[in-house]
Amino acid sequence: MEQLWLVPALPLAGFLLLLVTEGRLPDKLVACVGAGSVGLAALVALFVGFEFLQSGQPSFSLPLWTWMAVGDFNPSIALYLDPLSLVMVGVITGVGFLIHVYATGYMWKDHEEPGGYSRFFAYMNLFVFAMLMLVLGDNLLVLFLGWEGVGLCSYLLIGFYHRDPANGLAARKAFVVTRVGDTAFALGLFLLFRELGSLEIQQALAASSALTPGMATGICLLLLGGAIGKSAQVPLQTWLPDAMAGPTPVSALIHAATMVTAGVYLIARMQDLYLLSADAQHYVAVVGLVTLLISAFAALTQRDLKRILAYSTMSQIGYMFMALGVGAWSAAIFHLMTHAFFKALLFLAAGSVILALHHEQDIFKMGGLRKKLPVPFWCMAIGSGALVALPLTSGFFSKDAILLTAYETSGWLYWGGGVLAAGVTALYTTRMMAHTFFGENKTAPHDLSHAAFSYTRIHMWLPLVVLAGLAIGGGWFGIGVLDGLLGPVGELSHVSPQALATMIVPLLGIALGIFLFRRRGDSSRFDESKFGRFLRGGWGFDRLYELVFVKPFMALTRVNKSDAVDLVYRVTAGVTRGFHYVFALTQTGRLRWYAANMAFGLVIVLLIAAAWL
Amino acid sequence: MILTVIALLLAAGLVAWAAERFAGPGAPRWVSVLAFLGGLAWAVFEYADGAAAGLYAQQAFAWIPRFGINVVLELDGLSLLMVGLTMFLGVVAVVSSWDEVEKAHGFFQFNILWVMAGVVGVFTAMDLFLFFFFWEVMLVPMYFLIAIWGHENKGYASMKFFLFTQISGLLMLLAILALVFFAYDVGGEVTFAYADLKRASAHIPGDVRAWLMLGFFVAFATKLPSVPLHTWLPDAHTQAPTAGSVILAGILLKTGAYGIIRFAVPLFPEASQDFAWWGMFLGAASVLYGGAMAFSQSDFKRLVAYSSIAHMGFVLLGVYAFNAQGMQGAVMTMIAHGFSTAALFLMAGALQQRLNTREMSRMGGLWTHAPRMGVMTMFFVVASVGMPGLGNFVGEFLALLGAFRQNVWLAVAATLGIVVAAVYGLYLLQRSFQGEPNPDVKTMTDFGAREMSVMVLMMLALVWLGVYPQPVLDLSAATIDTLGVLP
Repeated sequence: MEQLWLVPALPLAGFLLLLVTEGRLPDKLVACVGAGSVGLAALVALFVGFEFLQSGQPSFSLPLWTWMAVGDFNPSIALYLDPLSLVMVGVITGVGFLIHVYATGYMWKDHEEPGGYSRFFAYMNLFVFAMLMLVLGDNLLVLFLGWEGVGLCSYLLIGFYHRDPANGLAARKAFVVTRVGDTAFALGLFLLFRELGSLEIQQALAASSALTPGMATGICLLLLGGAIGKSAQVPLQTWLPDAMAGPTPVSALIHAATMVTAGVYLIARMQDLYLLSADAQHYVAVVGLVTLLISAFAALTQRDLKRILAYSTMSQIGYMFMALGVGAWSAAIFHLMTHAFFKALLFLAAGSVILALHHEQDIFKMGGLRKKLPVPFWCMAIGSGALVALPLTSGFFSKDAILLTAYETSGWLYWGGGVLAAGVTALYTTRMMAHTFFGENKTAPHDLSHAAFSYTRIHMWLPLVVLAGLAIGGGWFGIGVLDGLLGPVGELSHVSPQALATMIVPLLGIALGIFLFRRRGDSSRFDESKFGRFLRGGWGFDRLYELVFVKPFMALTRVNKSDAVDLVYRVTAGVTRGFHYVFALTQTGRLRWYAANMAFGLVIVLLIAAAWL
Repeated sequence: MILTVIALLLAAGLVAWAAERFAGPGAPRWVSVLAFLGGLAWAVFEYADGAAAGLYAQQAFAWIPRFGINVVLELDGLSLLMVGLTMFLGVVAVVSSWDEVEKAHGFFQFNILWVMAGVVGVFTAMDLFLFFFFWEVMLVPMYFLIAIWGHENKGYASMKFFLFTQISGLLMLLAILALVFFAYDVGGEVTFAYADLKRASAHIPGDVRAWLMLGFFVAFATKLPSVPLHTWLPDAHTQAPTAGSVILAGILLKTGAYGIIRFAVPLFPEASQDFAWWGMFLGAASVLYGGAMAFSQSDFKRLVAYSSIAHMGFVLLGVYAFNAQGMQGAVMTMIAHGFSTAALFLMAGALQQRLNTREMSRMGGLWTHAPRMGVMTMFFVVASVGMPGLGNFVGEFLALLGAFRQNVWLAVAATLGIVVAAVYGLYLLQRSFQGEPNPDVKTMTDFGAREMSVMVLMMLALVWLGVYPQPVLDLSAATIDTLGVLP
């Protein structure tokens, strides 16, 4: 287990190697380094994880060095492995490796300048390193290091095609909006440290019972702020749809499988703290419920394939938040895992479609691709099945666990909202599949069979097949495996009206979808209605923020470009110069003028003196 | 030994000036580089040699005994850090403007060396007369650097710089003299010695103490600079030649921060405690105002200049939090900012040299032409945005952590500054290096080995400060303990 440090160190080494060679390595070698470093990390993680489970210890921590010691504040750089972080490490390195392998083909020649291929994998490896630090950090400061690090990599990768200013804008939006959440997170750290005197997670959690309920709620809400930003939950969700500007493997890895679930991880990690505050837990559930509903409906009228998936990701993470809030802790992590499988699959398969159509992302311009792109079709079909939670797919087991626990602990509202959204999920997924793969073909796919990124190449189809297998079978072992991960999993009754409804509503959604979208274009009337456009714009959040934050800030900075404070000094200088000018005028060098002035002045002085007396 | 180092820097200045005549225009810069490398070696040697009673080196002899004025130079942990930074950035400044200077090469290097000599004096003087002497020694050569080798508006900028520094310095001089007179009333002898004045100030009436403290504070806050005394900085930085900007931002600003930590606070601990809220308020205001102003700039260099104001706000915030984290965070911010901002000014200089403009509207997409410059700009922007793992984060996080313990709402306000930092930092990167390549820029030479080596050195320094800052923290902790201002 001492080799745990190698898990984050390997991707870091990959990043450093790609950095110092400045893109001069041949592309094939870059692919080996980029995917290989993550693959090795996955192997080491497998080995360490096996050893860890064998040892039967509840946790293992590996201190590396003291980061900074200042007075009573002395966080160290230390790694911490327990079942929760092990699950996360498995997802990150495992799914991460598959996506890296896929990306070696996907990104082949798909960059704007020499060295772009190397730059892409450098960023990706750095991301994996940061994400691993996030989940392995023994204290919240190391977690924060990873947290900011993944945000940076997300920014770099969203803006990877940096020539298009729109991509730059999307990247900056993602960074800044999540940073708003990070500010709350940082304040949460300050408060936690002030109250408990430590940022060591286990130490702080152990001491947390001494907190007053109000203080516990305060800390939890500040941390929730961070989680909301990173996990794209309402009200900081607006960056995620735009983040789709990045290459598709990036969307799969960062904006579906790993980084966006960091918020879920954070709350699960701080479970003991949240258990102290029913209020905070309640807010977590509300955030989840609102997000899963809002984004499911928003996905209903999107035209861009990747944006549909982005809204769907927000919605699924909403389920995870709701699960955390209603006390279905293990189910949240379970869903995190299955979602990583099927959403990564969906994105990668969608990427194949998009590449084959030469970067066409509008589903209304696709159609009829089922026969022409069989592998992406079947992969997306499987991924969609899991997303919709068809019985026996992985998504079914995890979503079921969430909804049934919600019903049992928190009543019909959360359950009902979740089930409604599940129906909508089925509807938008059917719409997506219908427009993309059925009906008549509008854009003919290119013949890519000889290209490096053709899905017929092994490095392209193998990740898809493995992920498809996981998307189906990833939940078969059931939530039982995660029993004890975050407290016991309660027995859930699967033969009850609510269990039946949970299972049937998605099927009804699919049926409705088939009925509606049997003929292409039928939905466009709704899509183009006022309400449809409102939904497509993400419920107007962007416009609201534009109006309330962006515009005033821009106006303020534009008005004050020349720094109002400087006016004080400029006026002072101006007045001084004015006097100088006036007095200089009197210096004419003419003696008669001086004498006359003197006489005149003398007269005035005498007059005043006379008046005085 | 300290005085010898200062004298050698002064002498090297004369040699550099003369060298142009005897050995051609390329010679003076070599003199400077050698002098700074020597100084750096000396600092490293003193560090390795260890400290005796907290001092790595010291020197004391009478100067004008009649008025109790002595030459007292001491190199403790904080001084050593600052002197080391000074020497390092001296090398950086000279190497980075290797072929930027077009006239009077010898006199240029003379001024650089004399500024630095003054700076070393400021960082080590423990006699207030001597301190003020060095404070003024720094000023004049810097004025010349801007006024002679500056850009299009150099006359205005250099005069503004001179007046701000001079007038605020006058206030400090008055405060020093008053302090000496009051100390004479208390102790019966005229003394400018730091330790004596520190002891004596406790016996001065409270309201007088507050005014004296303000005299010091205004001088240092102008240099730092803090809102609302900052407006000289954007002009001076923008107009100064690259080496001048590097020295200004990297080191001269730190003399203000150093002055607050070494003089304004320890000489008047109670008055400073009473002032703490205002100090923190000015810090938070600088963070937000500097950040917002940085965003509104279209001039690359001016943007970086305003960002300096924002970063220095964290120093004020940390110092006046009056706890270990805040104080250490302030010191750490000083050092990390020295590297990150010096690098960004260097980048501004490199761009101006290549494109003859600092306007970002005339840049864009430069990454295509110069990927190395792009990577470097990105790195230092990311550092100054406060990315964990790099030095600035350690400083700013500690300063905020300390501030939060003292005043929640001011800390909250300043923490919002990290969002603003992201906004202007990434905007800078976007407008210069990303986006569609500007059609007016056909080609641009990328960094060569000389520029890269300087950049990589600073990069490594920031990474080291970010992941293992303990040696630096230990050095400053030793000094902070002796100041006796923390509860």
